[in-house]
Amino acid sequence: MFHKLDFNAGWVAVGALLFFLVGATLTTILPQMSEASWTTPLEGSRAYSEQELRGKAIYQREGCWYCHTQQIRTLEADTKRYGWRGVDAPISLPGEYVRDAPHVLGTRRAGPDLARVGGKYDKSWHKTHFNNPRDLVPGSVMPPFPWIVTDNGGQDLKNLIAYIQTLGRTRDWRPDDDYEE
Amino acid sequence: MRWFILSSIVFFVITATVGLLLSLKFVWPEFMGTAKWLTFGRLRPLHVNGILFGWLLAADMGLLFYLVPRLCGNKLWSEKLGLMTVGLFDLVILGAVYTTLSGQTQGLEYAELPLVLDVGVTLAWVFFGVNIFGTILTRKHKKIYVSLWYTMGAVIWTAAVYITGNFLVMFATGVNQANLNWFYVHNAVGLIFTPLGLAIAYYFIPLAVREPLYSHKLSMIGFWSISFIYVWTGAHHMIHGPISQWLQTVAILFSVMLIIPVWTVIVNFFGTVHGRWDRVRQDPILKFLMAGTTFYLLTCLQGPMHSLRTVNAIVSKTDWVVGHAHMAVFGAFSFFAIAGCLYVVPLLSGRKLHSVKLADNTFWLMMVGGLIYFVSLWIGGFMQGLQWNDPSIPFIDTVRFMRPFWIARAFSGVLILAGTILFFYNLIRTFGGTAGGETTTAVGTPVPATA
Ligand code: HEC
Repeated sequence: MFHKLDFNAGWVAVGALLFFLVGATLTTILPQMSEASWTTPLEGSRAYSEQELRGKAIYQREGCWYCHTQQIRTLEADTKRYGWRGVDAPISLPGEYVRDAPHVLGTRRAGPDLARVGGKYDKSWHKTHFNNPRDLVPGSVMPPFPWIVTDNGGQDLKNLIAYIQTLGRTRDWRPDDDYEE
Repeated sequence: MRWFILSSIVFFVITATVGLLLSLKFVWPEFMGTAKWLTFGRLRPLHVNGILFGWLLAADMGLLFYLVPRLCGNKLWSEKLGLMTVGLFDLVILGAVYTTLSGQTQGLEYAELPLVLDVGVTLAWVFFGVNIFGTILTRKHKKIYVSLWYTMGAVIWTAAVYITGNFLVMFATGVNQANLNWFYVHNAVGLIFTPLGLAIAYYFIPLAVREPLYSHKLSMIGFWSISFIYVWTGAHHMIHGPISQWLQTVAILFSVMLIIPVWTVIVNFFGTVHGRWDRVRQDPILKFLMAGTTFYLLTCLQGPMHSLRTVNAIVSKTDWVVGHAHMAVFGAFSFFAIAGCLYVVPLLSGRKLHSVKLADNTFWLMMVGGLIYFVSLWIGGFMQGLQWNDPSIPFIDTVRFMRPFWIARAFSGVLILAGTILFFYNLIRTFGGTAGGETTTAVGTPVPATA
């Protein structure tokens, strides 16, 4: 039977497509139907404000997501490393991401994970850091973003910080509510 | 189709240069840092898209326009449509240079280009597909050589994968979108560049070594197994991540099964060359092909390994993966395409290759550069991964630790770029050239025999 395929282009094409469709359906369409958490926002989460969305757009535009992931994986090291002031970071749940389009899970950690960074630093820290990260963290390879600080009379900076400060807040994970402004 | 090859090598040089700039930024983060248009987050998509689409896809299309008609024993179905394909495709790539540098992006890996350009790529691909199928359906040789299966597979899969990854993905959000995104990213390599690269290698290896293909049956098993297995594996980008365990396990199982198709290809390629290694020593084209085969094997052994949960907990998100990706796209598929260009350009321009010696130097520069690149990032990335798993080490220390590896990587970038420029120069001189040229490249029968 396979021998015939040597001579029939149509069958090769149809076969290749069918084989592909089996796996494609089962790994992309099935999960979005079977996993409710993929499409229902986590309880207690709220939609982004206008300002936060503008901030997220800057995050997207400047490619922060090439260097930063936003996912606390099911690994103890992740929960310890990305917790701060002695509290471990909660593991990320699918429902936390439903309002993100584009998603910002990321694949590469040239810099630390940001899923729980909201409230870790205050505004003035971020301002100095974006202007030139090495002023605060010698040895950092994060690029300087002076234009974020100055563009639009500082509005870009405010928007971006507003977005950064939302990260992880849905989970309300700080026992003492010690988030920085 | 000289225009495709010509444009692809121009973009190869440009985007390899961008790659070098990026590597320098990890050594001197301030380097060109205050120029908005040249910040890391904008140059990176230019590098990635430029290499994948501007160079590799274009070169592959150019080479297939050459070899498909030869395997079919007729002419390209429509030369005019072919020209339109190049024109449209190059417009898209030029547009992409502008959009990436100005920060317009869809914010999804490999799918950064805005909608208009996505439509352009899709149209160009439809043109390409029509032309390829047109040629195959009107063929004179009835038997379909394995390169043609891969080509047909690639035309169909690319269409499906690209549409999912650039259009359908926009209707999803969050983890769901990420899953579609990785489906696309992964299959872009596995079901676009792999079959195209293999189509090229299956064609040129037997020709360049002047021996029949080792086993037709193996090539058949390889084709059907890859077309079934590959597509399941996208979720292995999110192992330990916020997706269900069953999906992770499925991705891992199928990733491991990928060893089957890879093995058939490797045995077939090495089997074809077996006993003829003296010819490899003399011919830079064969060197590229066989080094590419070896890198393909290594990449595809790494892949299944990374997907295992324990290994993944170390290497995932580190520079190890960057080394892995470069070995696939540069070490394997770009090497195949380079070999194809070195073979075809002399035939297209009716001249000998400008300089075989230069091609040999290109090979060694790229080979040594590539090895330094891969190895430095593997060692550095693996050790960084181990450090990350010890939360008592501050993150920034793990960044400082990478510095010597990043310096080595930047150095390897210089070698690779030098190789790219030599390759470009060699082909341009062959295309436009003065009659000179030292030796003939192997010109065999245009259709490889199967054993
Ligand atoms: C080239 C990779 C790179 C890019 C691009 C990048 N960063 Fe970073 N980032 C780093 C590194 C490395 C660190 C760790 C050292 C430091 O704090 O500067 C870091 C640290 C951070 C931190 C502090 C995290 C913590 O827990 O201490 C924040 C917040 C941050 N980056 C936000 C951003 C934003 C927002 C952008 C985009 C405008 C961005 N980064 C772009 C590499 C990058």
